[in-house]
Amino acid sequence: MKSTARRQSYGVKGAPYAFLLPATILFALFFALPIGYAIWLSLHKVKVSGLGLGSGARREVWAGLENYTDALTDSELVNGALRVLGYGCIVVPVMLGLALLFALMLDSENVRLAPFTRLAIFLPYAIPGVVAALLWGFLYLPDVSPFYFVLDKLGLPQPDLLDGGPLYLALSNIAVWGGTGFNMIVIYTSLQAIPAEVYEAAKLDGATPVQIALRIKIPMVAPSLVLTFFFSIIATLQVFNEPTTLKPLTNSVSTTWSPLMNVHRDAFGEGDVYGAAAQAVIIAFATLLLSFGFLRAANRRQKQEAAR
Amino acid sequence: MPYTKRRRLVTSAVALALGAAALAACGSESGDSETESGPVSLTYWTWTPGMDKVVDLWNKGPGKKDQITVTVKKQASGDTLITKILTAHKAGKAPDLVQAEYQALPTLVSNDALADISKNVGDAKDRFADGVWQQTTLGTDAVYAVPQDIGPMMFYYREDLFKEYGLTVPTTWDEFAKTARKLKQAAPDKDLTTFSANDSGLFAGLAQQAGAKWWTTSGDQWKVSINDAATQKVAKFWGGLVKEGAIDNQPMYTPSWNKALNTGKQIAWVSAVWAPGTLTTAAPETKGKWAMAPLPQWSANENRTGSWGGSSTAVTTDSKHQEAAAKFAAWLNTDGDALNALAKESGIYPAAKNAQTSGAFLKPPAYFSHQADFYTKAADIAETTAPSAWGPNVNVAYTTFKDAFGAAAKNKSDFGAALNKMQADTVADMKKQGFEVAR
Amino acid sequence: MSSLAVPQTEPVAGSTPGTAQGRPPLRRRIALIPTVTLFLGAIYCLLPVAWVVIAATKSGRELFSTFTFLPGTGFAGNFRDLSAYRDGVYWEWMGNSALHAGLGALLSACVSAFSGYALAIYRFRGRETIFNVLLAGVLMPPVILAIPQYLLLAKADLTDSFLSVLLPQILSPYGVYLARIYAAAAVPADVVEAGRMDGASEWRIFTRIALPMMIPGMVTVFLFQFVAIWNNFLLPYIMLSDDEKFPITLGLFTLLEQGANTPALYTLVITGAFLAVLPLVALFLVIQRFWSLDLLSGAVKS
Repeated sequence: MKSTARRQSYGVKGAPYAFLLPATILFALFFALPIGYAIWLSLHKVKVSGLGLGSGARREVWAGLENYTDALTDSELVNGALRVLGYGCIVVPVMLGLALLFALMLDSENVRLAPFTRLAIFLPYAIPGVVAALLWGFLYLPDVSPFYFVLDKLGLPQPDLLDGGPLYLALSNIAVWGGTGFNMIVIYTSLQAIPAEVYEAAKLDGATPVQIALRIKIPMVAPSLVLTFFFSIIATLQVFNEPTTLKPLTNSVSTTWSPLMNVHRDAFGEGDVYGAAAQAVIIAFATLLLSFGFLRAANRRQKQEAAR
Repeated sequence: MPYTKRRRLVTSAVALALGAAALAACGSESGDSETESGPVSLTYWTWTPGMDKVVDLWNKGPGKKDQITVTVKKQASGDTLITKILTAHKAGKAPDLVQAEYQALPTLVSNDALADISKNVGDAKDRFADGVWQQTTLGTDAVYAVPQDIGPMMFYYREDLFKEYGLTVPTTWDEFAKTARKLKQAAPDKDLTTFSANDSGLFAGLAQQAGAKWWTTSGDQWKVSINDAATQKVAKFWGGLVKEGAIDNQPMYTPSWNKALNTGKQIAWVSAVWAPGTLTTAAPETKGKWAMAPLPQWSANENRTGSWGGSSTAVTTDSKHQEAAAKFAAWLNTDGDALNALAKESGIYPAAKNAQTSGAFLKPPAYFSHQADFYTKAADIAETTAPSAWGPNVNVAYTTFKDAFGAAAKNKSDFGAALNKMQADTVADMKKQGFEVAR
Repeated sequence: MSSLAVPQTEPVAGSTPGTAQGRPPLRRRIALIPTVTLFLGAIYCLLPVAWVVIAATKSGRELFSTFTFLPGTGFAGNFRDLSAYRDGVYWEWMGNSALHAGLGALLSACVSAFSGYALAIYRFRGRETIFNVLLAGVLMPPVILAIPQYLLLAKADLTDSFLSVLLPQILSPYGVYLARIYAAAAVPADVVEAGRMDGASEWRIFTRIALPMMIPGMVTVFLFQFVAIWNNFLLPYIMLSDDEKFPITLGLFTLLEQGANTPALYTLVITGAFLAVLPLVALFLVIQRFWSLDLLSGAVKS
């Protein structure tokens, strides 16, 4: 495919740039400029004089790297990062594993109720965050949860889901519940794009559906898997919604549970947008290393395989 | 200033790309309150339900006469609203009028977001209790807002269950602790109440009752005394009850908490005058079974309460019609018709003294229909509100409270240490911002 | 080629064709393991959703007092109260959300299709750089971008407007990446080349040949962006001040946070959230027809 593509390009030099123009303009305006401004903010701080009341008492001054050193020496930010890594180690493999499994199952032949299950698994993504805290409150809090009711009736132990280790499971469950369908659809649409004749030969050779899935389908949707991985890593490092959802329900989730909650608290709770911006830049940088590092490694591997 | 330079860069880029006549309407300089002539139209950010109906009264009455039209833009309440106001203010686009909780006023003033309206509303002072009014002046000669509603704190309890377990209504905190222990002995699966770390306002109110003054000024310096003796006393008291297991340690406002109130698993609640509304939603099954009493006191001869909640109407510096806006703010919170409408449409408990026992407040709230003197009692209690002392970074103290006391409540560890952390973080933040802080 | 594929999917494709022959021809063999697995997955996902549906039927009195999964009797009342709230502002929120999400997702799918196609099909200088830079847009957490975006749009006097919420949500790095993958898989280079041989312009090749092949992928991008905009909270929160312009998430939030005097209107919020899911379900049902490539390749042919 690549070799044929290489032959073109005469007389069409401007075309790709023209196609990319809308995205580039939007990027410049709504991503690059605000990012630039956020970086600018991160290098500044507010300076109050005296009591700080009345006009002119508050100025923006150059802070250099002060906000960065503050953030890096903030043990809560580091602890938050560790918590998030632990959480990510559960969420990413489980969510993507299930997404791939479901997508392959949906794509296999003679599956009943496929349109229904497809919708059902996707639906959690459509539940607005506004009700999430109530929703999970009703399912996780022992006094109101039907699951605890069942455990109680059966005389089984009732774990405290909102503390310690189980808290990670409770959070991960929300993320897996909400994100599996989304990733499943990405993989599923990629599977749909594989022309049917690709399997035909294998089928005629007597390959089982499992073999077809492992040897043909998964390699062919590898780019989509890379995509879902890439964005899942980013979403994990920027995790905010799940712990924020559980926050009002328990004393175990602090306002600084994840690094992004820390950012949100500083920017929206404490009005320190400068420090928050510096933390955001650090998070972005860590995300860059991890996610693009992954993307690079994945691409290199794909190229090696293509070369073989 | 580098900030302006950046702004210019941003401006030109947007104008270029959008081809919009972007700068035409961008005169963000706030016009000083010149004498108005001609119709004026004002915008008002408020979270109070039913405010649009109250404002209609103005638009059809006094507002029509003065050609001042107010438009309500309903917002969600909460700490993030302050950020939203400040962000809008930074762009010169804050609305003319904002609703703000008392403890947020210093933050807003320190960001130069609120206009001094002392010239226009100074006369209103007599309508409010001194302690309430003082919150809108921040101890200066200026006036930054007109008080709207207040939240004097009270003690709510299940009358029937108190009787059942042979409990008497505690008049001191000491008795409160004994009551909690007595209940625990009589019914181990029940709790008198919970110590919730998810609403800092409650703790601040309790400290206020004990005589704490968290922020004070002397000359050009702030003094922060969050961990003063009074607050230490409050923190240790509640920490002790949590530690010995006499009360619950789970947060309020969760489905679990609602159920606990509704089923009588928790039989009392330290709350404020607005509690009937919350109880109506949280514990509908127990309507008519609750009663209200004054907050327990620290010593038998005292009679004081704190406040939890309450808000004011402020005029922003971005407003081009500050005088008109101030006029409206004064009308809204002192006019008899307006206060009646506020009580009826919005269910607020007015800050204006004479409104507390008239109109809608002649009858008790529906949830407390059996306690005929509910609002007379409430007005008496409101009278005993201890003065409060807010500073420019209450938000920082409040978030630190949630984390430090949340962890302490969970681990049943030392509340005093959590309080010290609250003090240290608050002072550190003020110093970082450059405030002069006295040691 | 697809004309070949269609009839060939018809024969029973189980791994043991011999046993299938004895069965009545009308009854196709059910793939048991996949069906059961998917069904379990569906139950796992639907349980919490079912809570929203059931809770929407409960009156305020029932919400905290009856068993969590026991339906209530208050749906009609909740619906009436919600519709009556501030003279039906809920339906305005719904309309606003539909407009933001519909137009935003459509534009987003278009921009993604342009970009994805260009990045997948052409070889040009700076291709990977542009791609990586566009992707890097997701690195900066949205939380910290909302305030700069507000200040920026305030300069253009666009805050508190429909555009202020629409414009920042058109470009989706996720959509661009997905479109690139999809274009690379679905648009064969020789088809593009053949178009060029016929003397078609690049634009014509894109709209007439490539775009139809990319439609299933673009439909996915549309769906994702639609839901993302529908559920977005922070951007409209910062941008909009007029509650008649609010989208549904923000509107429901104002019902939850009414200050200390007024307790949260839980039942209205839950009912509102439940009703807000229905348009998404409808959208999904309409859209999933476009995921079938057979159907589309048939459409392309005719």
